[in-house]
Amino acid sequence: MIIGIDVGGTFTDAVLLDNRMGKILNTVKVPTRANNLLVSLEQALDAILDGVDPGLIQRVNLSTTIVTNVLAEKNYSPVGLLIIPGPGLLPPPVVFAKKTAVLSGAIDHRGRVTAPVKPDEVTAAINEFHSTGIAKVAVIGKFSVRNHSQELEVDQIIRTKFPQWKVEMGHRCGSQLNFPRRVVNTVLTAATKESYGGFARAVQEALTRRKLTAPVMILKADGGTLPLEESIAAPVETIFSGPAASVLGALSLTNPAKTGVVVDIGGTTTDLALILSGRPLMSSKGVSVADSLTQVRSFAITALPVGGDSHVCVENGKIVVRPERLGPAACVGGPVPTPTDALKVLGQATIGSADLARQALKTLARDKAAGTHAAGDLISVEEVAREIIAAVCQLIKQGIEDMFRAWQEEPAYRVWELLQEIPARPKTIIGVGGGAPGLVEHVAGSLGCRAVLPPHGPVANAIGAAVAKPTVRICLRADTDQGLYHIDEEGYQGSLSNRQSWDEEDMVNLARTWVNKRAERLGIQGDPGSIETTCHEIFNLVRGHMTVGAIHHLILETPWQISHFVGGEKP
Amino acid sequence: MNQQTGLIFFPAFDWSLSATHPEREERLLYTRDQIFEEGILDLPQVVEYKPRLATPKDIARTHICIPDVEAQVTEAHLAAAGAGLVLADALMSGEIKNGFSLVRPPGHHSMRVVHGNRGFCNINNVAVLVDYLRARHKVQRVAIVDTDVHHGDGTQDIFYHDPNVLFISFHQDGRTLYPGTGFPEEMGGPAAYGRTVNIPLPPGTSDEGLHYVLDNLVLPILREFQPDLIINSAGQDNHYSDPLGGMKISAQGYARMAQKLQPDLAVLEGGYAVESALPYVNLGIIMAMAGLDFSGIREPDFDPEALRQDARITNYISQLVDEIGQLWSRQSNKSQEFTLTNGYYQRTKHLFYDTCFIREEQLEKVACCSQCAGLMDLVSAANLNKGRAGKVRALILPFQSCPGCQQAAENLYKQAKKQGGWEHIYLSDRSGDRYLHYDGLAKKAREY
Repeated sequence: MIIGIDVGGTFTDAVLLDNRMGKILNTVKVPTRANNLLVSLEQALDAILDGVDPGLIQRVNLSTTIVTNVLAEKNYSPVGLLIIPGPGLLPPPVVFAKKTAVLSGAIDHRGRVTAPVKPDEVTAAINEFHSTGIAKVAVIGKFSVRNHSQELEVDQIIRTKFPQWKVEMGHRCGSQLNFPRRVVNTVLTAATKESYGGFARAVQEALTRRKLTAPVMILKADGGTLPLEESIAAPVETIFSGPAASVLGALSLTNPAKTGVVVDIGGTTTDLALILSGRPLMSSKGVSVADSLTQVRSFAITALPVGGDSHVCVENGKIVVRPERLGPAACVGGPVPTPTDALKVLGQATIGSADLARQALKTLARDKAAGTHAAGDLISVEEVAREIIAAVCQLIKQGIEDMFRAWQEEPAYRVWELLQEIPARPKTIIGVGGGAPGLVEHVAGSLGCRAVLPPHGPVANAIGAAVAKPTVRICLRADTDQGLYHIDEEGYQGSLSNRQSWDEEDMVNLARTWVNKRAERLGIQGDPGSIETTCHEIFNLVRGHMTVGAIHHLILETPWQISHFVGGEKP
Repeated sequence: MNQQTGLIFFPAFDWSLSATHPEREERLLYTRDQIFEEGILDLPQVVEYKPRLATPKDIARTHICIPDVEAQVTEAHLAAAGAGLVLADALMSGEIKNGFSLVRPPGHHSMRVVHGNRGFCNINNVAVLVDYLRARHKVQRVAIVDTDVHHGDGTQDIFYHDPNVLFISFHQDGRTLYPGTGFPEEMGGPAAYGRTVNIPLPPGTSDEGLHYVLDNLVLPILREFQPDLIINSAGQDNHYSDPLGGMKISAQGYARMAQKLQPDLAVLEGGYAVESALPYVNLGIIMAMAGLDFSGIREPDFDPEALRQDARITNYISQLVDEIGQLWSRQSNKSQEFTLTNGYYQRTKHLFYDTCFIREEQLEKVACCSQCAGLMDLVSAANLNKGRAGKVRALILPFQSCPGCQQAAENLYKQAKKQGGWEHIYLSDRSGDRYLHYDGLAKKAREY
């Protein structure tokens, strides 16, 4: 059996999955205590384990908002930021860093050192950090993914002077070309590692106390999992795993083969994800955290500021759904009318009091009448409810259309990409999350799509956590002219012996040894042969009419998959 | 008013003229690395667009492709040309304040008639863009400033008789570099005299000389012409590290130029110092167009001492600027290149296609018309690979052509078809946005 737990912002959900039958055995939902996620997790765990022999549990998969909470509560000690931007642009200031110092040094686009680091500058900067109580440092150089020697040089100076400091380096925290985003990744790692590590250890202890000895995996924003122990080194990978969990859950429950949209309607936001040929679309760059852009790989999720608890009011005689939550729905004692109240009035919501919902909507009818000339000519409460639903649906419909257009307009850098046929418009709208029933049917109707509201939709995120599988991915970049190669995910750089003789196959084999090594370290069982080469680009380097070498870029990764389709047949 | 700069980055990583040609997959690889690593595409001032494929009609509006558009283009050409059109639409709808089409393959050596590839170019991306702006968006006056180290002979050829398009090209003197043209005396056809301005600069010109030319010649002429739009044919091969050119311009020099020119749209042309120039020059131009601080951009090997301009060059440039300024202001002087015969100004052109070894003979006739820029009547013959030189005829009406020229074009087109002896006959009616092709061998007609 597998346990999947999603510690969300409002609720903590858990499911128990029979991994042989692919069936859901039990589900649990408890409120999340923002100031003590561990207690919420333990509550959900105890409820789901009730009457179950812990020895039968083969895997525990967790998705948590711990990193988001650490950042929101500023529950981290101050971070000093050292950057080596070289010539070009300075990155924007990072809100999570207390102090920033700019250092000399430069690496160019092929990883050549073009200006040296000045040790005196480093010493002066860290002394200054020390005087303000900083003991955690993030060191990031421009193009450090092409050559990390200058980051190591700075790290060495810090270690000598302040051996007890915690240092995070850019090439270990973000593997893609994008200096400003790599800076954010590294600072976030420095800020959250300690708190996250503490949480992870507490989770491990809690599981051990319950005699759970199964491997514990953590969900990442890209829908794959990492062993809990491994995630301590890369806490930012776990940020925004919640939306990924609900997308995986929706897919597990419905197994859509074609183009569709997952609509997860919560209390304050609605998350949209595009499904293409049965797979979630990945974001091309990375998620943003508190308005800071990161390099964290994730599904392409659009978050709309509308949900079941959105504040509904009348502006200029019109029903308006505002992008804010003032409390729960009026039907459960909240302060203002909400879409949930509209559903209640229309008999499409199960929770709360119909009288309270009607009262709330009556005030809207009155406000609306006051704004028109036909004062006193009150429209019915049902009509107000329908207008609210229509307004919410319009917002979601617009969001879906914008997302689809944005995807179609994703830049292309190759001729064949431009010649790709554009798939048909989405056909299926899969509604999950507490707010979906009652709303998703309307959204689908207005888009001419079929609405699917799978059973267990309200705990889709916990199901998604349960069915997620460990993934492994490496990018290899080799420059045979310089005799260098990099494994981005490992922060490794090595040299190629006998520079000219590397052909395509040699490169694939080199990448394969690395991906197998990494898979083993991450505890990924199964056939390493299933790991696919999803990209192999070769650029011949020509200098003065002579081919002097080639730049290879390879990506090897496990094919995208989930472990169980709990809502239907496996394809 | 939107304040964003539109960017189309289309490096065509899967297209090359041949494996070791300068116009190969690797050309914009390091530009990509630099743009990505700097996080340019995350800046709120920059918005990235995706190119579309230009239609055959978009190409036929500008070029007479022999025998037809499909024979002269690949999808990469259509994407490079189409990128400019996407930005044109975004600019004209107010979505962006300006745009940079950072694409390959380039275009400014492609002339009106296209028998094959000239100077790495098949399709003139900038000319296709300008004609699109006029046909689709009804833009009247356009200035093109060609800042490539090579003379933009293709663009000059296409707009030579067009009084509504000002073409300014500065480049390394044609006596020292391909294509060997672009001298001050080439000032436009009789109906568009002074609408072509050529500034041949001596090898070794540095930022100082370039900016002297901009401040004292290019910008004053632009101010006087008062274009609705300025288009920059942005060649990056004036850079001091370029393997083909001999100039000494730096990335800062380029960025400051973009800041002064304030082009509405810029389109990449040449530039083959793929590692040492393109990443920094392209970055500088994007930053300048987006109104961002570009002062930190510097080539790793930048050395102001080595790039200092020789005093003799400074003197030469100052004299050259005076001379060209005088030529420009005395526009009553008429073109010496054309003879007037039977109501047509005419000249003969001998053209060489360096990439595919084609020699073309062209008789160019433009009607002397008081009502419009005049019907152009072209006869072209080229020795293609088999040594055969079939003759083609093209009748080209200008934008806002007069009824007289329109009638003449129709008559000549019919006559030529009847007369026979032409391998292909073309009628480009740009006022009506209709482009006819008659295949004289197969006896088949087509309209784009």
